[in-house]
Parts: sequence; C-alpha cells; structure tokens
Amino acid sequence: MSGLSLPALLPWLVGLPLLAAAASFAGQRWVAGRWLNAVGAAAQLALAVLVLWLLAAGDSGLGQRYTLGGWGAPLGIDLYIDGFAGLMIAITAALGFVLSLYSCSYFTEPDQAARFWPLWWLLMVALNAVFLAADAFNIYVTLEILGLAAVALVALQGGRPALQAALRYLLVGLLGSLCYLLGVALLYRAYGTLDLAQLGQLVHAAPLSWAALGLITVGLLLKTALLPLHFWLPPAHANAPAPVSAALSALVVKASFYLLARFWLETLSAATTAQGLQVLGVLGAAAVLVGSIQAIRAQRLKLIVAYSTVAQLGYLFLLFPLFGRPSDTAGLGGAVVDAVAYFIIAHACAKAAMFLAAGNIQRAAGHDDISRLHGIARRQPLSLFAFAIAGASLIGLPPSGGFVAKWLLLNAAIDAGQWWWLITVIAGGLLAAVYVFRVLNLAFTDSAEQPPAAEAQPVLPRLLPLGAFALAIITVLLGFNALWVLEVLDIGVPPLQLAADGEAL
Amino acid sequence: MFRELNSNAAPPAGLRIVCALAIVGLTLALIAAVVVSGPAAPGLQAAVAAALPHSGVENPVTAVLLNFRSYDTLLEIAVLFVVAVATLPLRRAVAPQRTEAVAVEPVLAALVKLLVPLVVLTGGYLLWVGAYAPGGAFQAGALLAGAGVLLSLAGGFSLAALPARPLLVVGLVVFTAVAAAVGAITGAFLQYPVAAAGVLILVIEAAATVSIAATLLLLYGNLAEPVPSGPLAGTKEPAS
Repeated sequence: MSGLSLPALLPWLVGLPLLAAAASFAGQRWVAGRWLNAVGAAAQLALAVLVLWLLAAGDSGLGQRYTLGGWGAPLGIDLYIDGFAGLMIAITAALGFVLSLYSCSYFTEPDQAARFWPLWWLLMVALNAVFLAADAFNIYVTLEILGLAAVALVALQGGRPALQAALRYLLVGLLGSLCYLLGVALLYRAYGTLDLAQLGQLVHAAPLSWAALGLITVGLLLKTALLPLHFWLPPAHANAPAPVSAALSALVVKASFYLLARFWLETLSAATTAQGLQVLGVLGAAAVLVGSIQAIRAQRLKLIVAYSTVAQLGYLFLLFPLFGRPSDTAGLGGAVVDAVAYFIIAHACAKAAMFLAAGNIQRAAGHDDISRLHGIARRQPLSLFAFAIAGASLIGLPPSGGFVAKWLLLNAAIDAGQWWWLITVIAGGLLAAVYVFRVLNLAFTDSAEQPPAAEAQPVLPRLLPLGAFALAIITVLLGFNALWVLEVLDIGVPPLQLAADGEAL
Repeated sequence: MFRELNSNAAPPAGLRIVCALAIVGLTLALIAAVVVSGPAAPGLQAAVAAALPHSGVENPVTAVLLNFRSYDTLLEIAVLFVVAVATLPLRRAVAPQRTEAVAVEPVLAALVKLLVPLVVLTGGYLLWVGAYAPGGAFQAGALLAGAGVLLSLAGGFSLAALPARPLLVVGLVVFTAVAAAVGAITGAFLQYPVAAAGVLILVIEAAATVSIAATLLLLYGNLAEPVPSGPLAGTKEPAS
C-alpha cells in the first residue's frame, strides 16, 4: 500500500466528528461561527470521499481491517470497512454536509444552536462508528450514542408533542439496546469472543445461538421501526426539527437495519433459518402496505413523510428472503445486496429532501396541517419542487434514484424466483403515488374559502429551500450514476473466499 | 396494533395478561437455552492475563477498560457527554449567581468541613489505585460529585460559580487527543507506548474523573432546582 493508507484513515472517521463535537460545545461562545460546523462537515465529507476512493482503488478488492490499540481481536477491538460500509459512510457524510449547511440557517436561536451542534456531531460519530464496527459489544456502545443523541435532537424542538415523542423514543431505544446487549452476552458465553468475524466462524445452530439471534433481532427491529414495532417512529420523526427528521429517517434507522443485515447474513447466518428470513420479508411487505395507507390517511405533512419512512423501510427487508441463507464463504454482496444498498441511498436522499421541504413549508406557513396548505406551490415553489422530485423517487418514477432502486429490487426478486414480492413493490409504488399526489394536488389548487395571500408569511433564508432542492437534485443524479455506486458495493464481497484464495497463492 | 398509541389509558386486562404470559414463557425459554447449552466458553481471561504485563496497569479491569478495549471506553465517555449536552439547562445569561441565604445548620457546616476534604482525598486515592485494584475514573468521579453535592447543600459554594463547559468536555478531549497522539508515535490509534502506558492511562482517567463528576453534578443541579433560569452546574477541581 502506498503512502496514503486506507486503514489509517478509519479511526479519523470517528475521531474527527468527536473532536468537532467537543469544539462546538466548548468553543461556541468565543468562536462566533456556526459556519465552522459546515467547514467541519466538509472535512468529514472529504475524508469519506477519500476513504471511498482508496477503497475503490485498492487493488486487493478486499475489505480492510484496522486494529485499535494494536491488540487485535479477540482481546482488542477492530474496525472493518467493505463496500457496503464504505457507501453507508459516504452517504452519511454527504447528507451530513448538506444538512449541516441547512442547519446553519435553520437554527438561528442561540440556545437551540448551542445544543444542536454537539449533539449533531455525536450523531455523526455514532453513525460512522456503527458502520465501521467489527465487535458486538462495541456496537452496543455506538448504539447508545446513536439512540441518546437522536432522542436529544428530537427533544430540541421543545413543546409537548416533541417531548412526548422523544420520551417514547428513549424508552423504546433503551429496551432495544438492552435486548441487544442480552443477546451479545449470550454470544460471549457460548463462543468466548465478541469479534464479528470470529463469531461468524464459530457460530453454529444451537439453542443459545437462536436465543441470541432472537434477542438481537428484536432489539434492532425496535430501533429500525419495522412493523409492528414502528409505533414510536411517526411521532418522533414528525415532531423533530426538520434537519433532525431528515437525518433520523435517512440515516439513523438505516444504521440498525445495516446491523440486522450484518448479523443475519454474515455473523449469525449459521443460526438463521429460511423461514425466519421469509418472516422478515413478510413483515417488510406488510410495512410497505400499512405505512403507505397510514401516510395516505395522515393529516399533517410531516406525518405523511414519517409514515412514508415506515413504508420505505419495509422494502429494505426484502433483502432477507431474496438473499436467502448464505453459503459459508459468501460475504454481504451480490445483486440483492446491491439493490438494497442502492435503495438505502436513494431513499436517504429523497427522504431527506422531503423532510427539508416539509420543514420549510411548515416554517413558512407556521403549521403543516394538510387541509390548510392550499396553494402552497405559489408561496414556496422551490421547496415544493424539491418535494415533488423526492416524491417521484419514492414512487419509483424514472429517472430518479428510486426508479433504479426498485428496478434492481424487481430484478433480484425475479432472479430469486420469488415473484410474489413484485406485488408488494408495485403496490407500494402506487400507494406512494397516492400520498405524494395528494399533497401536490392541494399545493397547486386554491382553497375556495381561503384566499391564498390572506396571511403574510415570513421570508425563509435562501439556504433553506436550496438545501432541499440540492438533495432532490442528488436524488436524480443518483439515477444517472447507478453503475458506479454498484461497483463500489462489490468491494470485499466474499472476503473469506478471497482471503482463502490469497493464502493459496 | 397499527394505530398510534397516543392515549395514556392502560391497555385492557386481557392484553396485559397475554403479555405477562408471553414474557414468562420467553424468559423460561431463555433460561432453558442457557441451561442446555452446558458450560460457558473459556472467554478471554487467559488472553487478558497474558497481555497484562504490557498494559501499563496491574488491575485487569482497568487494563480492559483503558487499554485493551479503550475504544469502547472512549465512546462511553462520549455517551456521558451526550447526556451532559442534552441536560444542559437553558441560558446562563439570564441567571445571576444564586445568592439566596441558606440557613446552614452549624452541625452540617462542621460536618462538611470535615467530610469534604476526606471525600476528595478518597476520590483521588480511588483514581490512583485503579491501576492496581478496583477503582478508577467512574468511582472517583462519583465521589467528587458527592463532595460537590455536600458542599452545595451546606451553601459552601455555588454550582454556578465554576466554568461548566470546559469541565464537562475535558475528559473527551484529553482521551481523544491522547488516542491520536499515541497513534502518531506507535502507528495505531489508541496504542500506547508500553513504557508510558501507565502514565497515559492515569492522565486519561484523571480528565475523565473531572468530566464524570461534572456531569453528575449537572444532573443533580437540574434535578434539585428545575427552574428555567437555573444556572449551569460546576464542580470542584479534583485534588490530584
């Protein structure tokens, strides 16, 4: 490896936002610049791009490990990055950058800003640490930061609904963490190591493995808000400040989904059964339908977007039945993982754009009550445009990222010979069209009883609609650059197999 | 099941009974799974014992927390920091220092005069002894916070008088800085040079003690006086 080594950069993906959190907390009174936070986010983005570039340029095509403290597993803790992890880190940094810029304009009240930035950076710490984690207990600690920071960010909004939602989110998150921790304790008792790769080699089908898998699954499903454990998500995501809602829906729920995929398809795959994988898929399909119907029935704009997240998370769980039970040497890769990872990225961009647009509309109008949003297109054209593009991606209309994601998913379902999932994907798209067009329809029509220009509305800072618009543009650009994303995903795909080949040479 | 649970009414009795039975059943299944699985795997005690001479400390718990798995502890300090940021009271500018006259019992005042130096001394001892025996930053921080609570009860000092923000963050900053600095020397993040490991661990633990004590005092200050204009908590400097 040349002078710039990829593994040596990995700890900085955690260390940089950690220092930024401390700096934004300690120094906010004398460093007048909230814009420094945007600079920090740009640095994080540059770091993530560099990591991804090195990962893609690496001639080995392997996942990379970094040994913290020089001890090595199982005594110490390692970090691990492959194509899937790298893409998650890249999307975190990219959204983190846009949302940070947006937040510079959004949080103008000093008290709120003073609290927002450290928590925001800690959220970035947790996300990067989750994606890099290679140790089961380390994941528990990262989940704690993630959950607590997310709850505190929801509570930032103040007011009864937000605090109530935050408290419920906190309790659900704690229950999920404890379930997960109990599962990890069982794994350590049975196998004597916490390293995910070593566990992957040791785990076999036994009652204790099943118990651990069950506890870890329930804990992470609670955090991912898969139906029927989704009850906490709509109020929490709908009542948080706009950039927080965007990050929660785009990134935070994906982190626990990412872990579920790692545990079910890699680490604990020996303890899984085909029926279990099908159950996860069925729950996902149910989430698509129920979440979409709830979104259609919701009366608040942000609640529509939040229920849409419940629905879109359902698609991700088609990963499990379509991937099936992996063979011993397979890593997380192949067409199904490509499709789902691409779906994660496309949904992250579209949903973040949608939440920012909804937040802009709410801030300008002073409410987000659907029945009183007639003619909003005239007053917030750019935000509504962003909402429409993001909506098109959620429906799956070309040329958006959402279209490519659904196309890949449909292909994967046909390849796997499980055509019945097609019904879910298509029905979900149609239902999404209903709730998106319900909003657009209202936005372009004037109410009969309410003249459009009756109420004077505050002028939003220019950056707020631009932020939503930028994310919507990224959603479209993703649709045109799908191949590149998919190539990165295949890095480190069968790490064990490739490693075995390397040793044989 | 799919409705939003916004009512605070208790769920019906039938549902509660079903839930209770399900929990009992699952717990029994879990116990059965543990019982039938036979003896536990050997675990990592042998590996810890083998690496202990290179860890810079003699207490295996401290070696695991501050050396072998120091990354976890770094993130734990970050968890505490999240709590501190989340519970930080609003606006310090509105709040002048608290000057209400507290009628202090002479007995309490005398007791505090005796106790606080001893508690601080014990905190410092626990911090130091962590390298050899049970002790360390968390215990020392809890003791220091206890001393601060005693002092503020006796009116001895105002929680608002000390700079809370630097105290709350110093543990995280020192830990991260040491982690990066040793990385520049040894080549791996958090890998201490063996000769300096003991000292570095003590430095990290001392800084963490301050932040832990400050966070606990902050929580106490909030809980004790939930006034919106409540000042920030402070803490007493450790006697190290």
